[in-house]
Amino acid sequence: MSGANGAGARTGRRVLLDGRPVTLAERPLKGGGEASVYPVEGEPGIVVKLYRERPGAEQERRLTRMLAMSPLGDRPIDSNQAPELAWPTALARSPEGAFLGYAMRRFGEPEHVQLVGLFTRSQRLRLFPERADWRFLLGVAWNLAFMTARMHHEGLVVGDFSSSNVVVDRNGFVTFLDCDSIAFTDRGTRESFPCLMHTTDYSAPERQAGGPASKESDDFALSVLVYQLLAVGNHPFGGVPHDSQEDSTVKDNIAASISYVVRPERVVVPRGIIDPTVLPPGLLTLARRAFGPGVLDPKSRPTAQDWLRALDEERGRVRVCTARARHTYGSHLTSCPWCARAAATGQDLFNAPEPRQQVRTQVHVPPQSPQPPPVPPPLAASGRFDARKLVWALMAVIAVIILVALLASAMDP
Amino acid sequence: MMNEPPPPTAVPQYADFDFELDNNAQRLPLVLCLDNSRSMEGRPIQALNEALREWTRELHDDVSLSYSVEVAVITFGDQSVTAYRGAEPLYPGMNLSPFVPAHAFTAPTLAANGVTLMTEAVELAMQIVAARKTELRKLGLQYYRPQICLVTDGLPTDGTGHYTTTWQRIVPVLAEEQRSRRFRLYAIGVGGITERGQAVLRAFAPTYNAQLQGFPFRELLQMMSASAAAEQKGEGEEAFEKIFHQFRTQRPAWEA
Repeated sequence: MSGANGAGARTGRRVLLDGRPVTLAERPLKGGGEASVYPVEGEPGIVVKLYRERPGAEQERRLTRMLAMSPLGDRPIDSNQAPELAWPTALARSPEGAFLGYAMRRFGEPEHVQLVGLFTRSQRLRLFPERADWRFLLGVAWNLAFMTARMHHEGLVVGDFSSSNVVVDRNGFVTFLDCDSIAFTDRGTRESFPCLMHTTDYSAPERQAGGPASKESDDFALSVLVYQLLAVGNHPFGGVPHDSQEDSTVKDNIAASISYVVRPERVVVPRGIIDPTVLPPGLLTLARRAFGPGVLDPKSRPTAQDWLRALDEERGRVRVCTARARHTYGSHLTSCPWCARAAATGQDLFNAPEPRQQVRTQVHVPPQSPQPPPVPPPLAASGRFDARKLVWALMAVIAVIILVALLASAMDP
Repeated sequence: MMNEPPPPTAVPQYADFDFELDNNAQRLPLVLCLDNSRSMEGRPIQALNEALREWTRELHDDVSLSYSVEVAVITFGDQSVTAYRGAEPLYPGMNLSPFVPAHAFTAPTLAANGVTLMTEAVELAMQIVAARKTELRKLGLQYYRPQICLVTDGLPTDGTGHYTTTWQRIVPVLAEEQRSRRFRLYAIGVGGITERGQAVLRAFAPTYNAQLQGFPFRELLQMMSASAAAEQKGEGEEAFEKIFHQFRTQRPAWEA
């Protein structure tokens, strides 16, 4: 529609996906410095990622190799579950045959929401209507640890692991996007494909310093993500150090190994923070290892499997608050932390604020009744959901244990 | 709603996001410093208003950006420099921060009129950024490097509409602030900006200045979002230069 001179120097809108011509939408869904992701006309199920600068031969070999792999193919299939990896499905080439990028399944809103959407009340309520309680967050953390553990088992390193390139669906299933940056070694040629991307808020110090991505750097990012989920969005490296004069960032706190989860006295703790003790003791111990000694010593970080085991122990024990809807919490607590917080701050983390008009009229109305109690959600539905998930979870854990046992025996001399 | 008594001041209306206690994400302050002087009258100011509304929608929908970004708007035109808190102009003495979390941001509808107090507007932008940083630090909240986006089609003037060289006084200040990474300044000349006007922008923002044909505000605001995303990801300076360069070399499709 807009003339040929409109869009500039790129190759135009027609590309070949494994030789099959398709037309890309005019505007990308998302564009960054490195690449843009385009919808495909007439095919709502897929997207095409085109690199801005013509990718080199190594990237083409990487993607060609990836097309021949089917990672995480051995999991028990739940028909409700989306794939855990947005794996490349075809190479994208120009009509002249130049390698431009690749196609993958589309994981878009509203079905799939970036993990960061779980971190604030307003977004949670907007994007995850009924199930975004603490138990849901715990379940998402479990799925994330499960995915990571299995990727590591298959020799894949996530590399660029962040709250923006993982998406979550309504059932709490996770999918990792940006698979073209995963680090792996080609088993045939022994060529290794490193991960060149990272997101500083999730980067272990050794990666910030320019080191390669590793299972241990994934373990660091996973620890941060799991903590954020369990602490309802709080980043463990938040807070402004007392001795800092200038700007302070999450990145700086990671590099200097300053986490309030371990050493709260070192920072002005972010206001409104959730006390780390909402984490059940087993999980808090792992967090303190990850954000204490584990920051500078990669080997002492809890692994994805450590997280998986500890999360699994808590899943079956979650308590449900009897006073307010959507309040669920760890079994180590004797009273509901979310009710306590709502009483202290006037804000309920898991329930929408009352409409403003109502608050205002309340001032004029004689105090006949305290607040109208929120209607509890139907418990039957969520109960069924949990039972099914528990069975699935158990199956999955057994699968992991078997895999690990197999691996261990295979590696025995 | 119409029968409701109006709130006594602007404060209660905003109290909700002042107390966004559950979000202690690292913040990304973003200042739009916009020329709404007489020369922007008609199609240009209309295009700006439309682009602001569309960008606001996109910002709300961007799960990642709306977690961190806070927006303040400053305009220069109409005999004065005005800071907006969302759609509402702030008056001296109100003592409110003009920054609004992205998810709660609503764009003001601007009218074009008056003179081009560009120097004062940039000074105010620097002041509100510094004040916001102090506030955030007190709250224990971290921040990414703020972005200030200056957009103009003219030359800095005094209150009577005459060109003035007072802009030169902020050049060394801006140079020092940018060298110390206190913010990234983008200075964009649009419409019929003259070579002399563009020279001012080059002096203000040696790295990120551009002269664009027409009034491609939509692309401009999208570039600000792309830069914000790069900042959130922790990209190096070369990524910002790449994003800016792409933006600068693209021609908006609706321009002839």
